Amino acid sequence: MNRAAILWRVASFAVAASFVGLWQLIANLKLVSPVFLPGPDRAWAALVRGFSSGDLWSKLAGTLEHMAYGWLLASIAGIAIGAIIGSSRTMRTYVAPSLEFLRPLPVSAIIPVAIAMLGLTQAMALFVISFGAIWPIMLATIHGFAAVEPRLYEVARSLQMSRLAVIFKIALPSASPDILAGMRLSLTVALILSVVCEILAGLDGLGHWVLLSARAFRSADLFAGVILLGVTGYVTSVAMSLAEHKLLAWQAAQR
Amino acid sequence: MASAAKRLDTVPGTPAPQIAFDGATLVLGGKTIIENLSLGVQPGEFLCIVGASGCGKTTALRLAAGLYQPTSGRVNFDGQPMRAPRREIAIVFQDYGKALLPWRTAAGNVSLALEAAGMPSAERPARIEELLRTVGLPGHAGKYPSEMSGGMQQRLQIARCLAQEPKTLLMDEPFGALDAMTRQGLQDEVLSLMAASGATVIFVTHDLDEAIYLGDRVIGLLPHPGRIGIELAVNLPRPRDQLSTREHPEFLRLRRQLFDFIKATEQ
Repeated sequence: MNRAAILWRVASFAVAASFVGLWQLIANLKLVSPVFLPGPDRAWAALVRGFSSGDLWSKLAGTLEHMAYGWLLASIAGIAIGAIIGSSRTMRTYVAPSLEFLRPLPVSAIIPVAIAMLGLTQAMALFVISFGAIWPIMLATIHGFAAVEPRLYEVARSLQMSRLAVIFKIALPSASPDILAGMRLSLTVALILSVVCEILAGLDGLGHWVLLSARAFRSADLFAGVILLGVTGYVTSVAMSLAEHKLLAWQAAQR
Repeated sequence: MASAAKRLDTVPGTPAPQIAFDGATLVLGGKTIIENLSLGVQPGEFLCIVGASGCGKTTALRLAAGLYQPTSGRVNFDGQPMRAPRREIAIVFQDYGKALLPWRTAAGNVSLALEAAGMPSAERPARIEELLRTVGLPGHAGKYPSEMSGGMQQRLQIARCLAQEPKTLLMDEPFGALDAMTRQGLQDEVLSLMAASGATVIFVTHDLDEAIYLGDRVIGLLPHPGRIGIELAVNLPRPRDQLSTREHPEFLRLRRQLFDFIKATEQ
């Protein structure tokens, strides 16, 4: 890192620190009632307490589990379906209008449907999370498969490559930048829907913790949960970016 | 089939052509691109096809590759009709940037052809190194195509084609996008590679000098629809040399004849 980059990083941390300071100031001056707004000190204490008693660990694990299963299912199904639709012009023509109808449908609207059919269960959460998270992945995969350089298919034909080899050696790697970008978008969707499902269905997780804390006016615990959700979103997104960077090293060479 | 076999036997003493167009016609989107093309290419022959742009040079090559099927007539390879592309026929595309896999290194791109041929992975590295050395790219195995110059990328594509161990190499204006010096260097390398491997070559170009310099025979196509307009045997001594061959009276005579032909087609 050069000097300028270090300075920028220091500056960005300073901004974050001043926000926390402002928050502490507002809490100390009791501009908002302490019942609703704990200071960062109390939120931090609640975090430490939650982790040392083990409560927050199990809630965090619950949310991560919902998120991971839903996201993985969405990824597998989204890439598979997207590959089938994207590699055939006929399929794209027939299926695209239905997708255009389903895609903008708010996932929250299908939650009651899912609850009616599957009950307040883990299966319902898995269905809702993966249904919401599948769209960015599937649409990105369709686009990626449709955009494979036709010349490469001719190369594959001249090499008499098998259908399977064409998919795994030509189409998938070619579409991988699109697919990974879709998977990164879906990660956020999966987290949001995990929390929503936990709140609505009372499933074990940070969403449930946040809801119960708010109802009991335990504002410090509430904020601890919210902070933890923010950190979860941030860490998973950074991890995904690192994976993308590593998998798409060839693209860096291209620029 | 019987009539085709008879045709091939009509000239005694000549070997059966490796690639034979037999009255091949191609209609695409209601437009006749190639009409009644009959042409035999002998094994080991270096045939160049020239013509004004839009005359169907590239289309003729794609028929030979099996990427297109003739609307009527036949295209045979070793006496068998071409139904689809095959590994014995390698294609060097003009747009090397699109024909290489950007996510694979130079070694990985060559490996693609070896994988397709079912070569065990243990045997591949040695063969890849040998092929990269053959085309003058030793020490570049770990580079991505985007890190290589245009000339290097085209060498890499040629290496991948050689990995197919082709009986026939189809080249579609392979040096059209390269600068003059790089082009001359690659012309000589292709000549020596083909002399060594004995493969048949069909080479499409719009550069008339290049066609005469490389070919045993040059065919000029007439446009709309594409058909043979001129056929010249190039009786210049081999190995060819960039200076003395291009100054040879026979070279100049052929060049004149070909230029006049192209000029006439453009009127």
